[in-house]
Amino acid sequence: MQGTREYGTREYRARLALTIMIIALLVLGSRLSYLQVFKAPYYRQISDNNRIRTLPIAASRGTVYDRQGSIIVNNRPSFTVSVIPYEIRSEKQVLATVAEMLELDTLSLRKKVDSPRYSTYEMIPVKRDADLGIISRLAEQGENLPGVIPEAQATRKYPELRSLSHLIGYVGEISEEELEVKKRVGESYGTFMGKMGIEKSYDELLRGRDGADLYEVTARGRVVGKLPDEERVPPLPGLDLQLTLDLSLQVLADSLLKPHPRGCIVALDPNSGEILCLASQPGFDPNSFTSVLTYGEWQELSENPDHPLLNRAIQSAYPPGSTLKLMVAGAALERGLITPQTTFHPCYGGFQLGERFFRCWQPEGHGVQALRGAVLYSCDTYFYQVGLKCGIDLMAEYAEKCGFGRKTGIDLPQEAKGFVPNTEFYDQRYGRKGWTKSLALNLSIGQGEFLVTPLQLTNFFAALCNGGTLYRPHLLEKVLSRSGRIHEYEKTTIGHLPFSKKTISILKDACLAVVNEQGGTGWMAKIPDIMVAGKTGSAQNPHGNTHAWFVAYAPAENPQIVITVLIENAGHGGDVAAPIAREIIKAYLHPRTELVQVSEKNNSIDDETKD
Amino acid sequence: MKLKIENFDWLTFLPALIISFMSIALIYSAKHASVSGVERMLFVKQGIWVVLGLIAFYLTYRLPVRTHEILAYLYYALGLTLLAALFLIGSTNYGSTRWFNLGPFNVQPSEIMKLAVIVALARFLAYPKKITNNFIWVIVAVFFALAPMLLVLKQPDLGTSSTFLIILLSLLFWSGLSIYFLVLLVSPILSLILAFHWLSWGIFFGALLTVILRSRPGRWLGTFVVMLNLSVGIVTPIVWNNLHDYQKDRIFSFLDPNKDKLGSGYQLIQSKVAIGSGGLLGKGYLNSSQARLEFLPMQHTDFIYSVLGEEFGLAGCSFVLALLSIMVYRGVRIALRARNNFAGFLAWGISAVLAFQSSVNIGMTLGLLPVTGIPLPFVSYGGSAMIVNWAMWGIVLNISANWQEY
Repeated sequence: MQGTREYGTREYRARLALTIMIIALLVLGSRLSYLQVFKAPYYRQISDNNRIRTLPIAASRGTVYDRQGSIIVNNRPSFTVSVIPYEIRSEKQVLATVAEMLELDTLSLRKKVDSPRYSTYEMIPVKRDADLGIISRLAEQGENLPGVIPEAQATRKYPELRSLSHLIGYVGEISEEELEVKKRVGESYGTFMGKMGIEKSYDELLRGRDGADLYEVTARGRVVGKLPDEERVPPLPGLDLQLTLDLSLQVLADSLLKPHPRGCIVALDPNSGEILCLASQPGFDPNSFTSVLTYGEWQELSENPDHPLLNRAIQSAYPPGSTLKLMVAGAALERGLITPQTTFHPCYGGFQLGERFFRCWQPEGHGVQALRGAVLYSCDTYFYQVGLKCGIDLMAEYAEKCGFGRKTGIDLPQEAKGFVPNTEFYDQRYGRKGWTKSLALNLSIGQGEFLVTPLQLTNFFAALCNGGTLYRPHLLEKVLSRSGRIHEYEKTTIGHLPFSKKTISILKDACLAVVNEQGGTGWMAKIPDIMVAGKTGSAQNPHGNTHAWFVAYAPAENPQIVITVLIENAGHGGDVAAPIAREIIKAYLHPRTELVQVSEKNNSIDDETKD
Repeated sequence: MKLKIENFDWLTFLPALIISFMSIALIYSAKHASVSGVERMLFVKQGIWVVLGLIAFYLTYRLPVRTHEILAYLYYALGLTLLAALFLIGSTNYGSTRWFNLGPFNVQPSEIMKLAVIVALARFLAYPKKITNNFIWVIVAVFFALAPMLLVLKQPDLGTSSTFLIILLSLLFWSGLSIYFLVLLVSPILSLILAFHWLSWGIFFGALLTVILRSRPGRWLGTFVVMLNLSVGIVTPIVWNNLHDYQKDRIFSFLDPNKDKLGSGYQLIQSKVAIGSGGLLGKGYLNSSQARLEFLPMQHTDFIYSVLGEEFGLAGCSFVLALLSIMVYRGVRIALRARNNFAGFLAWGISAVLAFQSSVNIGMTLGLLPVTGIPLPFVSYGGSAMIVNWAMWGIVLNISANWQEY
């Protein structure tokens, strides 16, 4: 191609490019000469006699607050002793001395120091939360112990609420696998990361970023001097989080769960999905993870038959029992299979299908009932017949639309999905003709293969009482940034109940009856000046007595709180779970009504003075 | 075409061979004291890469250049598919998805894509023969480079991504596009960088406006460039101010991934101490304390030049710099001499990549440029890069031997 005159020929272009290259060469060459000739003695000195050591400056982890601004998790000062393998390796004596002083096993310390990590100059923390006596002794011996570095560090301080431990989680040292597999920038030996709960799901926000100080040190590890401050990398502290959690409610939930060996409580605001309280029993003490957890302690936690590490509210799925009846009734109403007036065969303590007799929980029976009465007394016979009309797949279809069988997307790790069985599942399990319609009967009263997490159930009832919107349940309210900017969580809709306004109002009316009418199974949740609505449940399970369920919301006319209480193997929901729900609703709504009264009074005073 | 020994361009070939052998020796030196057995044996692997590279060199040297011309767009499509496939089946190391894991070794498609983009753009720009400042034409060429740039940026790998920009600019320059037009092309990127302060951006925009008003590049183009810069300049600060701190942190650590490790200050000062302490003649082979003692986390890849600097001093550094300069110079001569237009573009593009990567890498180890993770061609550890570099050099030698062919 011919270059046009104004832009020059190829030769001209090549010459231009070579000129640029020569300039680049001159720049690189003069820089090389500057470093290797002019500055060579300086660098030679650093290199020969001294080495540079970086001391990481740990970023302080963010504080976690509850919705009222009370501190849930913050940091406390502590001391950590670290060693630098390269410096300690050459001195066999030092290793033994250090092991003895720190009360550590020499062999395991040796193993840690010899671990084939990528840098032998990195500091490896060997003793966390060392007591002051050890630190002062180390400081005295400093000269004789090269490569051993005690330093002040912030340690996490968790509340003494065992039922809250799963939700908050804990932080721990990054494991070798984590370091290997998903190595992110800024992670090295001794990096603390969230391992569970909020600490894990918001780890990146809470953690901040470690900085580093650069020191010149002698071969013996003595610090000669600090490098100029411009070489220093300042740490960026982690961000603070405000949760939607109400700590006072959580304390109450903790004390209400204490008498029971296993169970959980979830409460949320139905108008936004904000989690108000989420407690799981039994729990553990997260503080024991921040120092050094002994093998015995760990074994005790992980092998305990009650699974204290499990967050039952979100990671465990149970048959919903009679609490599912509202979903089944909704599906049947929606499809026109029943009307609120429809009645079936009367209940004489059960229902005969072919050769099998399906028992109602009440052996005396409930007689003839329409929908409202059937929910009110939780009559199984009625729902067996509704289930038969609906069939398995229709119930499965509606259940999935109601948010069952999939994660709610709460901001906590390892949420369980639950399970919604359909005919395809039974075909696979029992063969095409290996099962009968009778399975639909069990499903209609929430027994059998249908599994829900307490959170899913709470969210279903939340949607029911807010008019049909499923919000994503969440714990994060705000991220408080360093510059004072606040990033608020925006509520997210994850679906809508497949029910019309009319259906919803029929179901809500039935829920109200459960608590407030004569003979209702949830009567124990009744509170004098607040209208509470809800539904009881008892989930059969192979481990003994039924699990007690109770789901409630209040005030019925303008719901502010939805709560699910599940107590494992405790019998009927109305007897055990309902009173617990009552206490929590009372505690949440009462101070609020008082506040409203006070502010109204203030307003009226203002009005008077204005007049 | 026949391989005639007198046609073989030894002056272009030998420097590449010498630095490849030096590379094996340097990697041995850098890792021979490592705690990990795998790392101690890296020099053997690098030796294998050099052998495979020489085989690739032989193939591209023998293969008629016309073949690449015919297959140009196929290369490009394949390369792009590989890059896209990374996001499905790539493996993630150090927070970046750059490799396919094939058991004992990894394949880095972005290295292969370097060659594919050069070949495809050379094909596109070499025909038709007459190129003026045609707006549409340039836009199409931009898209050729933009697709791999964005895919590689997503990995994230800022260094390799910028290499594609250099390929584009150098080939457009060679095609006859004026420097003025090239400046207009990169002006939005400059706007983006300068928009972090209103004053710097204001001055830049004013200068751009003056240049455009005085030189009149055509009404549409002028308006387009001005509007583009204006919107970049206005939108950037607004977006930036609405980002949360943690998002800003992510951008910072994206721009400078090593800052997080223990601070880029640490790596750079170690590199400077290594090179500076080498002095005139260096400390001698296998005597680098600074590099060997693992002060430098990446001494066998991005910071191999500082191992050289410590062990062989100014003499060694200048030697390698000289060899690389000879290679680039020869590449440019060959591009000029080639009668075939496509071949000229190829040789030019390959030389440009060599020049860019070498100077940016060396500039980085000397503390002149930010740590972006660009390897030193023919020297840094890495199989894909070694093989592709040799394949490219085979093409250059091929063009040199057959320069008279149309």
